[in-house]
Amino acid sequence: MKSFQSQLAKLEAADTQVLGVSMDSPFSNKAWADSIGVTFPLLSDWGGDTTRKYGLYNSTYKAARRATFLIGKDGKVLEVHLDKQAVDPHNVVEACERHKLGK
Amino acid sequence: MKMFRTAMLTAALGAVCVAAVAQDKKPAPPEPTIKVGETAPDFKLTDQNGKDVRLSDFRGKKNVALAFYVFAFTGG
Repeated sequence: MKSFQSQLAKLEAADTQVLGVSMDSPFSNKAWADSIGVTFPLLSDWGGDTTRKYGLYNSTYKAARRATFLIGKDGKVLEVHLDKQAVDPHNVVEACERHKLGK
Repeated sequence: MKMFRTAMLTAALGAVCVAAVAQDKKPAPPEPTIKVGETAPDFKLTDQNGKDVRLSDFRGKKNVALAFYVFAFTGG
């Protein structure tokens, strides 16, 4: 999430709000956000209902699979990035450019 | 005789190792059920400051990069 923070200005320029989601508690997320300097919301999916709704619950790790969904203002999914592709925030910045977001 | 026993033991150990490796295959990771072009399901979740956030809060206002991560205090 720290790497997303580094691309935040570019994403904001593309009119795109970053939301992190994991199955951690809000308390873990607070401590983590403070320690790495994340300013965007880190959402707590305690219990994993949202993670399951998106088909990302990994029963081996009892946690989400790494994935980024780029969602348009109309609520429709524009792109889905998984695993390593989802870790690198440059991919989502490029996706914003591809879809001419904020232009 | 001793050499024969050593050879048998080595072969048996080898078989055990092969079996262990074969069993170590991880199950396939989950595949996202929400596809490009579909409406992203709404949710209401609590952020790190105790504030409730809905995906629908941004409808018509902002695009959203919804980044699922595995655990806090890990990389990526």
